[in-house]
Amino acid sequence: MTALGIVVLLAAALAGAPLIAVLMGAAMLGFLASGIDLAAVPIEVYRIVDTPLLVALPLFTYAGYVLAESNTSQRLVAVVESFFGWLPSGLAIVSFAACALFTALTGASGVTIVALGALLLPALVQAGFGERFSLGLVTSSGSLGLLLAPSVPLILYGVIAQQIDAGPSFTIVDLFKAGLIPLLIMLACLMGWTLWAQRGAPVQRTRAVDGARIREALVAARWELPLPVVVLGGIYSGYFAISEAAAVTAVYVTIAQTLLYRDIRLRDLPAVAVKAMVMVGGILLILGVAMAFTNFLVDAEVPQRLFDFMQARIESPIAFLALLNILLLALGALLDIFAALVIMVPLILPVAMGYGIDPVHLGIVFLANMQIGYFTPPVGMNLFIASYRFKKPVLALYAACWPFMVVLLLALLLITYVPWFSLALVR
Amino acid sequence: MGLEGSDLEGAKPFIRVLRRVEDGILALILAAMIALAAYQVIARNLFDTGLLWGDALVRVLVIWVAMIGAMVASRNDDHIRIDVLARFVSPHWQGLLKRFANAFTCAVMGVFAWHSTRFVRFEYEDGTLAFASVPAWACEAVLPVGAAVIGLRYLLHTFDPP
Repeated sequence: MTALGIVVLLAAALAGAPLIAVLMGAAMLGFLASGIDLAAVPIEVYRIVDTPLLVALPLFTYAGYVLAESNTSQRLVAVVESFFGWLPSGLAIVSFAACALFTALTGASGVTIVALGALLLPALVQAGFGERFSLGLVTSSGSLGLLLAPSVPLILYGVIAQQIDAGPSFTIVDLFKAGLIPLLIMLACLMGWTLWAQRGAPVQRTRAVDGARIREALVAARWELPLPVVVLGGIYSGYFAISEAAAVTAVYVTIAQTLLYRDIRLRDLPAVAVKAMVMVGGILLILGVAMAFTNFLVDAEVPQRLFDFMQARIESPIAFLALLNILLLALGALLDIFAALVIMVPLILPVAMGYGIDPVHLGIVFLANMQIGYFTPPVGMNLFIASYRFKKPVLALYAACWPFMVVLLLALLLITYVPWFSLALVR
Repeated sequence: MGLEGSDLEGAKPFIRVLRRVEDGILALILAAMIALAAYQVIARNLFDTGLLWGDALVRVLVIWVAMIGAMVASRNDDHIRIDVLARFVSPHWQGLLKRFANAFTCAVMGVFAWHSTRFVRFEYEDGTLAFASVPAWACEAVLPVGAAVIGLRYLLHTFDPP
């Protein structure tokens, strides 16, 4: 009976049933097999209400969608450009920084390529960067900034990890602090490589530093400038709890974009809200069901058995991390980041603890892998978004992205095998 | 939309109104959530007060937004999925797989709706309070209602994939 159930579940998952239904089915099957009343499933799902942190998810996602629908992307690029445009390969450097910032401000809800890519691609080509290079840059930068506050995937990792309650305790702010140096390493690698790759290219520098232009860009962005200060400053300093920062951000962004900039008409706001909630509703429910399923897995000692199995074959943490990198890269290309988080973290975290890996470090490694997975052939999601957005065949994007992938893999190796980068600001 | 040219054509105006109502409720709940959460932050940090039940209500609104958001996502089958297989088979098989996946989803949601109804009934009989004088069952009722709506939509998708 249970075996038949498992077959049906797997078949449904492969056939493309929504993840929420597959996980719900799995949890029900598990509870049935252990003779637990199925009313336990809704009771577990309803425990979403007991996790105050989750309030942050809909609020940040909403704010992200509002920012993506307004002209924030243009004003952000103008500001970054007025400061850094004079550097050699200036516009590429500007693009990396702007993408990372925008991804962070929108809670990494996957809107960067759509909102920023279309703006940066023509500008890069016009500044003299090759088309292939420019295409690779905007596509691979679409997931840059995943490690910076208030990234929704990082918050989710923290919620799931705290649920499992294994290893040394940590807060979400610890995760955000831990992501800072790894993000800087990625940026440094990308920028360094760009300077080297473009050393002989006829790239224009944008105009020299010019006080008037900086002032102009800053004035244009005046209503948005307080945002990073409030959100990032508030979170990293510990002045705001994550959910408080989310509430302030949602209100502030709404006022700025509808009343001060008038980028979005008030009557269009509900449509933006619905779009954001469709995205976040699915994630929250999946998380609720996944928590039920995780409890079942832990009761059935699945992670423990998995660890024993691994321990018998792999001894060193280094070898485990190497295996983890390969597994996560493959998963990142195949699975949606949220799906990967809820399915894999409950299984991997206890095993990683067994190898003595810090849960904060694991979170950063996990997300850094996923970030690369976003544009890993054959099915990384951002490849398809970029293909659709820029009207280029997916094969052209494979060719454009691979050098960036190699550079980021190098950064990933550093982040994975030198835990200090993730833990220096935390432990 | 999946309705064009199907047997459901006659129901279109009605469904359109239903969808607008659904969208409106979702946007209103989110607006209430943002307003209340922001009020709590301001009241707490600036005036050292705040509504006693405010945070609890905000957290209930989160699950309401999640459930209704998932209902809206079910209209056009916009849920997160792992469709590894569907990419590699012929369109004919894709259609069949789709129907199977939709029937499966409908069944799971049906079971969930039934057991969450039981859950809500237990709480009603126990008379549990969620916060202030609001009964817990009223907050939890979104689970069976939402699951039933999602299940119904996937029942329709089984016969008429979007």
